[in-house]
Amino acid sequence: MRMRVSVEPRARPALPVRLGVPVASLAAAGVVGAVVILISGASPIEAYRTMLDSSLNGWRPLTRTLVLATPLILTGLAAAVAFRMKVWNIGAEGQLYMGAIAAAGLSLALPSDTPKLLMLVAILVAGAVAGAVWAGLAALPKAYFNTNEVITTLMLNFVALYFMNYLIFGSVSFWRDPEATFPQGKIVPDAAQLPIISHRLHYGLLIALAAALALWWSLRGTTWGFELRTIGDSPAASRYAGMSVSGKILSVLALSGALAGVAGAIEVSGVLKTLDPRAIATELGFTGIVVAAVARLNPLGVVPVAVLLGAVVASGTNLQTIGIEAEIVFLLQGLIFLFVASGEFFGANRLVVSRIAAAAESP
Amino acid sequence: MADLGETILEVRDLNKAFYGVAANDRVNFDLRAGEVHGLLGENGAGKSTLCSVLAGLYRPDSGEVRLDGQPVSLRSPHEAAEHGIGMVYQHFRLVPSLTVAENLVLGLKDQGVRLTLRAVETRVAEIAEEYGLTVHPDSYVWQLSVGEQQRVEILKQLYRGARILILDEPTAVLAPHECDKLYEVIRHMAQQGHSVVLVSHKMEEILGHTDRVTVLRLGRNAGTVDTAETTAASLATMMIGAEHLPEAGEHALRRFDDAPVVLSVKNLQVTGDRGMTAVDGASVEVRRGQIVGVAGVAGNGQREFQEAIAGLRAVKGGRVRLGERDITAASPRERSRAGLAYVPEDRLGTGLASGLTIEENLVLKSYREPPHSRFGALSPSAIATTARTLIEQFDVRGARRGMAVSLMSGGNLQKAILARELTRDHDVLLAASPTRGLDLAATAAVRAHIRAETDDGRGVLLFSEDLSEITELADVIVVMSRGRIVGSYTPETLDIAELGLLMTGAQEQTASGSTSVNGGSVSGGSAP
Repeated sequence: MRMRVSVEPRARPALPVRLGVPVASLAAAGVVGAVVILISGASPIEAYRTMLDSSLNGWRPLTRTLVLATPLILTGLAAAVAFRMKVWNIGAEGQLYMGAIAAAGLSLALPSDTPKLLMLVAILVAGAVAGAVWAGLAALPKAYFNTNEVITTLMLNFVALYFMNYLIFGSVSFWRDPEATFPQGKIVPDAAQLPIISHRLHYGLLIALAAALALWWSLRGTTWGFELRTIGDSPAASRYAGMSVSGKILSVLALSGALAGVAGAIEVSGVLKTLDPRAIATELGFTGIVVAAVARLNPLGVVPVAVLLGAVVASGTNLQTIGIEAEIVFLLQGLIFLFVASGEFFGANRLVVSRIAAAAESP
Repeated sequence: MADLGETILEVRDLNKAFYGVAANDRVNFDLRAGEVHGLLGENGAGKSTLCSVLAGLYRPDSGEVRLDGQPVSLRSPHEAAEHGIGMVYQHFRLVPSLTVAENLVLGLKDQGVRLTLRAVETRVAEIAEEYGLTVHPDSYVWQLSVGEQQRVEILKQLYRGARILILDEPTAVLAPHECDKLYEVIRHMAQQGHSVVLVSHKMEEILGHTDRVTVLRLGRNAGTVDTAETTAASLATMMIGAEHLPEAGEHALRRFDDAPVVLSVKNLQVTGDRGMTAVDGASVEVRRGQIVGVAGVAGNGQREFQEAIAGLRAVKGGRVRLGERDITAASPRERSRAGLAYVPEDRLGTGLASGLTIEENLVLKSYREPPHSRFGALSPSAIATTARTLIEQFDVRGARRGMAVSLMSGGNLQKAILARELTRDHDVLLAASPTRGLDLAATAAVRAHIRAETDDGRGVLLFSEDLSEITELADVIVVMSRGRIVGSYTPETLDIAELGLLMTGAQEQTASGSTSVNGGSVSGGSAP
């Protein structure tokens, strides 16, 4: 007798499967992580308690998690909306930088006595427009010359990164504080700082949640979303139906870039209060791709996934205070990503173990 | 016919359902050694499901498959192959950039690290010789015609030791002379003791080239008979049940000289996918109430011609007028609004978005119009109402709310497209191979819809490779060959022999002429 393992797609995963799989994935990550922690010489129980205490257990740690989750919701949505149409925007990272640069610049350029609401709307719009324009640089050649957007959006990330570094580190630009000893950005005026909900949690979270809800509805309930889904599903059928595919590439990439740009604006306005390249370039855009993939490109699914990743990041710093090295912390974070992502695979498919009669075995 | 051997394959009470719809309902089937067994049935009758179970592609919900009396489980195509069952699909599974021999060993596990292709090529040549499958083992698959690629698929199964071959509508993709070659190969294989399951819609094919026939209807057995003891009429009755066969209507001769022209295509020039001229100055006119049929062998520019008329392909020269309006430069949506309905050749992927639901597909062209949407917001209830009406009016079956259309059968897909296209305001219907691959009942329904178009004073431009369809429906028959319209007939002046010559390009053929390349596709000439 010989065993064979094969993978079969589940026709439509039942609700217990869909809810149980993420829980089981986290548990599995916990078990493997415990072994790693044991090997490193620390106590798994103490480590996990520290992780929970610093991320989810209590209001204060929860606000920390939500602050970290906010930009991930937006970059997750940025990836999800583009990927739904099979347009591979890998450039949320750079679009986020450009959003941050624009928001910081406008807040410094406007009179500091500008009414708060006006100021906030202005800089969020500036972030969105900057992100959209940056994505548009890849969208135009994609729409009209069918260039590969994976390459163009990816490359534009580096352009945006070096531009941002140049503004603060490479020159005494409008963004840089000329009086500081070390290169750093000017602090944005009070009017440009997002109000606080509690502790460090700012109203950017509500903007992100509203964006998730709006995008979810747009995909289901508007002609725009209908066209986007049709083009993503069958480009030939959408052309046949009279849809403008190139126009849609422009609008979808612009929206994707705008969402990433808003994430950048919110980081400046709600968290950093200045254009700080080192604090912004933390791969929020790239992590958004992971968020979108695990959420299966569902805008509502993006929210819990972003919160989970936010919790993982939030729990990391405190682990080092109980003697677990930074490397082990990154390893634990990677394990959780890995198990949740592969858990998604087993939620959608199932393994079938079967026996093969000896007679049928090939030599 | 040949003496039939003992039963080697038995299927007992096979059940398989998709989303609660039974595709196979207690199906029984048996196959004897050395027989050619026809599998006949309408679209959605369960033929493909049965074959896919035998090929290890689907797992049955219940029931049993026995080989040589032993129950077996076929969990993957690989396991089916281990049991000697091989399937040749309509869409070939070949890698174009590899040679024939390389394709044959692709995926085989006993090859070791180093390929010893020389031995493979020798063996392939032997098998090819034995069964009359003329293919060169070292030619690249992309160089081969469709018929040759099919031979490679059969060769692949034989090379892997298949003793049961399932051919899924093998002649649907072949030119007539290639069909005859295939029938020869099938006969050869049967004589060597192989069993062949021949899935087909074509009555002559079943009657002329099988030993026994199993007919399926609505997922159930409708009977198994010896081919020699049955007739086309009795098979047709088994296939469609109590309903009587639709008769080919008497073609009333009609005059259209005074009727206004609703579609006029003048001197159209269109470039094909590979940059070659596909349509080379073709002109055609359709008048009110008239059906114009375009006959021709596939790959002579018909696809490019119809896509250019529909606005899906850029026009290099010439004019297209819809009534009084010049639509040469109009977008597909503008053409649709101007009154052009289009039933494309490719149903799933062009006519319908495969991953969308039936409701969404039925409003694919009207989703921007009230009541389906207002100010950009879709109205799910209005869309559902429209869908319900259309599904009922056009008898679209197998549709489930929220189910992707890709799970529906071909006939129902076509009915869904017709439902959407014909209920929109239009003056001209452009239809491409509207009944290809459909069963008798669906074919009759589609043709009735096309005929009804003319009763309402609309014009129809019908592209079809099925000559009988064109002669049955068309008031004017034009012949397309190498991107040109090379002949035009009315039913009175029709000369089938001449038309056949025009279609195959024989009348234009030069002295060199074996195979000629035209519009990016290889048209089969006389074999060397």
